Amino acid sequence: MPREAEPSANEKAFLLKALQDEQIRLDGREFDQYRPLELTFGDEYGVANVSLGKTKILAKASAEVTVPFADRPLDGIFTIATELSPMTAPHFEVNRPTETEVLLSRLLEKTVRRSGALDTESLCLVAGQKCWSVRVDVHVLSHDGNLTDAACFAVVAALRHFRKPDTSIENGVLTVYTPAEREPVPLGWLHSPFCVTWSFFGDEGETALLDADWMEEQVRVASVTISLNRHGEICQIAKLGGVPVEAVALLQCTSVALTKVKEFSTFLDGKLAEDAKRRDKGGFMAELRAENDRVVG
Amino acid sequence: MSTESPLVVLPGEVIDPSLIPTHKKNPLRLGPGLRHIPPSEIVPTVAGQLVVDHRKTSMWIEYNGGRYIPSQGDLIIGQIARSATDFYYVSLSPYTPNATLPHLAFESATKKTRPQLSPGELVYARVSLANRHMDPELECVNSSTGKADGLGPLKDGMVFDVSLGFARRLLMAKSREEGKVEVLEALGEEGLAFETAVGRNGKVWVGSESVKTVVVVGRALRETDERGLGVEAQRKLVKKLVREMR
Repeated sequence: MPREAEPSANEKAFLLKALQDEQIRLDGREFDQYRPLELTFGDEYGVANVSLGKTKILAKASAEVTVPFADRPLDGIFTIATELSPMTAPHFEVNRPTETEVLLSRLLEKTVRRSGALDTESLCLVAGQKCWSVRVDVHVLSHDGNLTDAACFAVVAALRHFRKPDTSIENGVLTVYTPAEREPVPLGWLHSPFCVTWSFFGDEGETALLDADWMEEQVRVASVTISLNRHGEICQIAKLGGVPVEAVALLQCTSVALTKVKEFSTFLDGKLAEDAKRRDKGGFMAELRAENDRVVG
Repeated sequence: MSTESPLVVLPGEVIDPSLIPTHKKNPLRLGPGLRHIPPSEIVPTVAGQLVVDHRKTSMWIEYNGGRYIPSQGDLIIGQIARSATDFYYVSLSPYTPNATLPHLAFESATKKTRPQLSPGELVYARVSLANRHMDPELECVNSSTGKADGLGPLKDGMVFDVSLGFARRLLMAKSREEGKVEVLEALGEEGLAFETAVGRNGKVWVGSESVKTVVVVGRALRETDERGLGVEAQRKLVKKLVREMR
């Protein structure tokens, strides 16, 4: 396994000097400014392509009918799979989880699964026998820092974009309709959580930055990831080791995070509306929705 | 150098024999990217622009690859990985085998007065030996004259990554006309004081008293490279960046 490429001593020293003495970042951003965020959806439902600067992530949501867990007969199954491969960066190996990978999947788990963003009860088809198993695969195409925020955004975008096949039950017989028969329906979505990661620099963690790129991540002394939705409900705050940071500073970070999450939320809503309009040629979508009355005869 | 319009070739293409320069006495010299298949075939092995020089009876291909392959005589910026008994292991690009740099390959170095370099430091060196079968070797001194010629450890400053093709254009003797790169001269004309070292392996070291100057130079280089700016656009970019700085 090749060892991760380390930045040189000159680069590390220069970055810290620029941050602490001159208060500038190497790419000229503000301390609380994200890199340009781009989001495109695929032709299939549930494919979201996110790029945050040079970090690129592809998330794909899919669903299949399966047997629910024995201890939860009324819930569907929801899993998020993140596997970092050499496509991300040459030092990652498949099936050998590194710290980055473990932390990424744990943060996504806590943010999206445990917070109940997706209503798993709505995934149940026949209690105890059949349910939907929704799975999101996160592929990191390029790693230039801040995988957590980009991956969480991609997962939420993919899930909100995804449509599962429509179903109906008559006399205990479950029918799953193909997209040609009935238009697929969206998932039961309760709230949209996003992650915001702060990085700290300096002996006491005085300097705080949003959205660190790869070089800044190598040099930081601590980091905290705050997950919340646009109503200000916090899903989790994770500060895993690192230099201790003032509590007041942490509270300030949380309030700035709320502003950023509101921006993310508006951006995602805009992109979803744009995509819906693109697909809704001729305005027939309203006619195709399964909630309409069926005309008999 | 005379080309009417750039001819782009793909690997394995047949080259029109009328383009090959001939001379009564000088043999034809092939540069990087071309391979001679006896008796008379010349085949490109990479995709790029075919360049023909009639004065020197030579031809080669200009291409922008992603991976740096060391060749003899190249100037590179390497990072010290670790120190062994008689030489340093120097990394030219991440995830490739290290090159070796002897401890005494510096100007007027003896066992007692040699520079002590620690892992993570940068050196500006020349490739003294490079072939496909061995790890490359470096030197920080001109072996015939014994002078450093600017080679050696690089202190402070910052190193930026650029594409290989851009690094080659920066290193050309007439970078303004042939390489179409004017960024560094334009920055100097705006009054910024800095020094640079360009490594053929896609790294440019920039040093200056002021941190802001280094950041501006780095951003100018990166934008020129990534967006493929022409000479006019480079000048506009430099003016914009300097204005933002002040």
